[in-house]
Amino acid sequence: MSANPNAAVLTLSWRLFRHEARRGELTVILLAIILSVAAVLSLSLFSERLQSALTDRTAEFLAADRLLGSDKPVPDTWLEQARTQGLNTAQRVQMRSMVFANDELMLADVRAVSNAYPLKGTIKLADQPFGLGKAVETLPGPGEVWLDSRLFQVLGIQQGDKVEIGEKNFVVSGVISELPDGGFNVFGGDPLVLMPLSDLAATRITGPGSRTDYDYMFSGDSAALDDYYQWLEPQLDSELHYWRSVEDDDSPLGRSVRRAEQYFLLASLLAIVLASVSIAVAAQRYSHRHYDPVAIMKTLGAPGAMVRKIYLMQIIFIATLGIALGAGIGFAAQHVVAELIADKVPVALDAWHWRPFIIAVFTGVVCALLFSLYPLMKLFSVPPLRVLRRDLGASVGSRISQFIAAGSAIFMLMWAYSGDLKISLILLVTGLMLAAALLVVTMGLIWLGRKLGQGRMGAWQLAWARIQRRAMDNSVQLISFAITIMLLLVVLVMRNDMVKQWQEQLPEGTPNYFMINITDQQRPTVESHFETRGVQMENFYPVVRGRFVAINDDTIRTEVTKEDDERGRRGLGREANLTWSNTLQHENRVVAGSWHGEPDDAQQLYQVSVESQVAERLDIQLGDMLRFNIGSEVVEAQVGSLREVNWQTMQPNFFFVLEPAAMEAFSPTYITSFHLPTEQKALLGQLMSPFPTVTLFDVDARINQLRSVVSQVSLAVEFILVLVLCAGALVLVAQVQSTMDERQQELAILRTLGARGRMIRMSVIAEFIIIGVVAGTMAALANELALYLLQSQVFNMQTAVHWQYWLLAPLTGALVVGLLGAISCWRLLSLNTSQLLRKMV
Amino acid sequence: MIRTRAITKIVSTTEGELQILQPISFDVNSGESVAIVGASGSGKSTLLGLLAGLDQVTDGEIFLDEAPLHKMDEEARARMRGEKVGFIFQSFMLVQSLTALENVMLPAEITGLANPRQAALEALQQVGLEHRASHYPNQLSGGEQQRVAIARAFITRPKILFADEPTGNLDAANGDKVEKLLFELNRQAGTTLVLVTHDTELAQRCDRQLHMHAGSLTEESEEKASAEQRYVS
Ligand SMILES: Nc1ncnc2c1ncn2[C@@H]1O[C@H](COP(=O)(O)OP(=O)(O)O)[C@@H](O)[C@H]1O
Ligand SMILES: [Mg+2]
Repeated sequence: MSANPNAAVLTLSWRLFRHEARRGELTVILLAIILSVAAVLSLSLFSERLQSALTDRTAEFLAADRLLGSDKPVPDTWLEQARTQGLNTAQRVQMRSMVFANDELMLADVRAVSNAYPLKGTIKLADQPFGLGKAVETLPGPGEVWLDSRLFQVLGIQQGDKVEIGEKNFVVSGVISELPDGGFNVFGGDPLVLMPLSDLAATRITGPGSRTDYDYMFSGDSAALDDYYQWLEPQLDSELHYWRSVEDDDSPLGRSVRRAEQYFLLASLLAIVLASVSIAVAAQRYSHRHYDPVAIMKTLGAPGAMVRKIYLMQIIFIATLGIALGAGIGFAAQHVVAELIADKVPVALDAWHWRPFIIAVFTGVVCALLFSLYPLMKLFSVPPLRVLRRDLGASVGSRISQFIAAGSAIFMLMWAYSGDLKISLILLVTGLMLAAALLVVTMGLIWLGRKLGQGRMGAWQLAWARIQRRAMDNSVQLISFAITIMLLLVVLVMRNDMVKQWQEQLPEGTPNYFMINITDQQRPTVESHFETRGVQMENFYPVVRGRFVAINDDTIRTEVTKEDDERGRRGLGREANLTWSNTLQHENRVVAGSWHGEPDDAQQLYQVSVESQVAERLDIQLGDMLRFNIGSEVVEAQVGSLREVNWQTMQPNFFFVLEPAAMEAFSPTYITSFHLPTEQKALLGQLMSPFPTVTLFDVDARINQLRSVVSQVSLAVEFILVLVLCAGALVLVAQVQSTMDERQQELAILRTLGARGRMIRMSVIAEFIIIGVVAGTMAALANELALYLLQSQVFNMQTAVHWQYWLLAPLTGALVVGLLGAISCWRLLSLNTSQLLRKMV
Repeated sequence: MIRTRAITKIVSTTEGELQILQPISFDVNSGESVAIVGASGSGKSTLLGLLAGLDQVTDGEIFLDEAPLHKMDEEARARMRGEKVGFIFQSFMLVQSLTALENVMLPAEITGLANPRQAALEALQQVGLEHRASHYPNQLSGGEQQRVAIARAFITRPKILFADEPTGNLDAANGDKVEKLLFELNRQAGTTLVLVTHDTELAQRCDRQLHMHAGSLTEESEEKASAEQRYVS
């Protein structure tokens, strides 16, 4: 040993650290750091792996990672540049064209694709029309086409037959069951045709006047994709080109995945907050326990700088050990979970992501420093005189400033981590409101106590003074319990709501086949035919095709056509499906005006109800007169209501629903749908064979695709939930432990005064139960607010009040906090009195 | 060794200012042993804290080994304590997470003495606890803990030793043992000793007694022949 003071600092702090670690004195603070690092690491590592897998999965629906859409072919140099930047490219040219065979013809969605198509996802072919699809890795050869089942049905052809598209004949060599980028149009989409790009020119269907989309697909790692877009962007013309990535995917699937990603982010944020709270609690306790050693060292002549260095070293040792252990445990935990669910959830195989490691270590360091800073400052201010006057503590700042410091530290962490100001602010604000409400409640109690105690003599005032001191402590405990419970509630309820809405989107028995073109005469036969085979039909919707020609005498054909261009194939077609009914369709909601089916309706003019988005696009107002040309007839109707339609449900939806009286003159065809389990697919032939003129749409594969992704995402969300719940439980344990420390002295005194163990235990448990109930109730309230803000502002979900948790939260709060209190109280009471007293010294 | 001139201590409480020490002046000579006695709450510990440089006087002057304590800040007083002062407390004040040996080494390491381990082992030997060197304080009895504290107090060879009720937490047998040890080591090292006690027997072993009552020194009695008579107030 030398006289060098720095060497002394190092030896002393290392020695203190070693002994304390060995004697288990550091367990709580170490656990807190380990927990925070492990939770953040495992959550973000797991969700990173999961996200890259899910992004891959959704990329399949684009058949690529990025897509450049264009109205004209783009220069070849653009594709060459992409290839030199290490990207894979493919092309798809898409247009509507007639397909001829056997003197029949049908409009089809023709897609000519290059050899590399699809870059993501797989094509599935069936052995026969409406058969079960099997993945293939090939494409139609030169002179060949693959067709949708519907084309086989309508054109009355078989595999090997010839069809004519434009000026070229093709041999039909496959039945398309599924294209990755087939789209989610339930019906109204034209049947698909796939041909080699090299044959396109010979068909001459892409001449001037035809509406053709040129899509260029790219895949590769995201950095390369971003680089390429940077190069490309200045050359794009927004009139001609658009750039799409998976994130822009607005399908129900894209929305589900995006929501899940936000949920992972939220869960990781909450894990950080929980970890911060537990570190703050543990650091407080650590600082308290070192008041004496600091006073002793100062008394023995240690200068302030020496004491500060000793404890900074200690924190560095503790943080380093905690971060190392936490990183190890976190990595192992997510690895085990990923292994366990690998066959159920797609988890990326390349397990190494640096970002989560950096974030976790950063979180550990920031938490350890920020949250021990204030307790350490208090510790450094402990006066040496404490060795004589045992009640002397630290003298630094107020608790308010501590709360402000902690709150802003947590906020900065959340913001830095998520990069999402909105989520961070929502969590901060509800947390603050909860803390403020709890402070007001406890302060109110104190004020009430003072009022009651006024005028009494010393003993009373003394008692109230003590209660006031305890109340401050209790309110701190209350706040930390309540915040923990609230965060757990947010994660839990959010998950429940999300999974519920996903499931409602595609309930069991969702119709997976649609039939159109059922004539009035066929209808009863179809019904009885299906019924005898045990297949339940849904509603029959009458339909006539009509041309929408004018709003209030303004001819709008051009406008509609223009809209059509902008919206592409998914827009309103030139001919609309008109239906009529007096009853409002399920999952439709009138947002303006009143539904024409309502009995008090005594309008002179025929009424029509318009879908609200179309109304907005075409600038249709309530009361406008709409004119439709149906065949040679003209129908006029007044807009009586605007409807909001849930496009996420797999059911026929209509832009225009007329009053039945307006349509009496027309003989409709019917649209209906039915559900047939995938295993019974073979029954289709039998079902459909008597009705060759009825067209069948098969969306079974689409629905299954959607459902499998949604269930994978739900499962992943489930695991995240469990991880966060574990983190929360550990935080609660740490909190109870540290409040138990504070109670130790009181217990020892009660014990020495002869109070029986049973009585002490009961009173402590009662206290914890009360704290649990109050914390649970307040948490349920704050949860409601946080959820409302999150769901309406961030997740774009429907919001609702969760009454059941108003009861559940206080109950579980009481149960869990009471139980934890009972356990640690029992542990403490199993020590005998002299041990207790000695622990206090 | 110690000179005090009209030192007072006023603290502020919620009920206003409270004077816990009236102006006090007295001297302590080098090598002398002085007992401060008086009822509980009379201000003995407060006085000790001021003399030892643990606390700051409100008014008056204190010289410790000619150094003006009343003019020094906490950092300077800390250096002073490390160099010249040893301490023994009623509640032992050992660092719980260090072993007996490491507790004894602590002041030596803080002040940068050479070979602290060797010195500490010798000091433990002197108090008869070398076989408990690697034990933690909570594995030792109260008497043993106080003996460790005595070893810690003497390791830096302080010029002056302050003890606040050193036997206050011990039973009679252990108290005697600690008392004997304290005086024996004090005699060997020729240290100046100031101790606070309400144990009259312990007080009588000192050269001189200062009586405190309600924050004032009242009288000085039973001086031993060898001690120089020099008191005020
Ligand atoms: N910082 C302080 N604030 C309030 N009262 C104090 C403070 N320091 C000491 N006292 C009071 O001064 C009196 C003397 O205390 P002390 O010196 O500990 O007495 P003794 O050691 O003789 O028992 C006691 O009544 C004590 O409560
Ligand atoms: Mg005292």
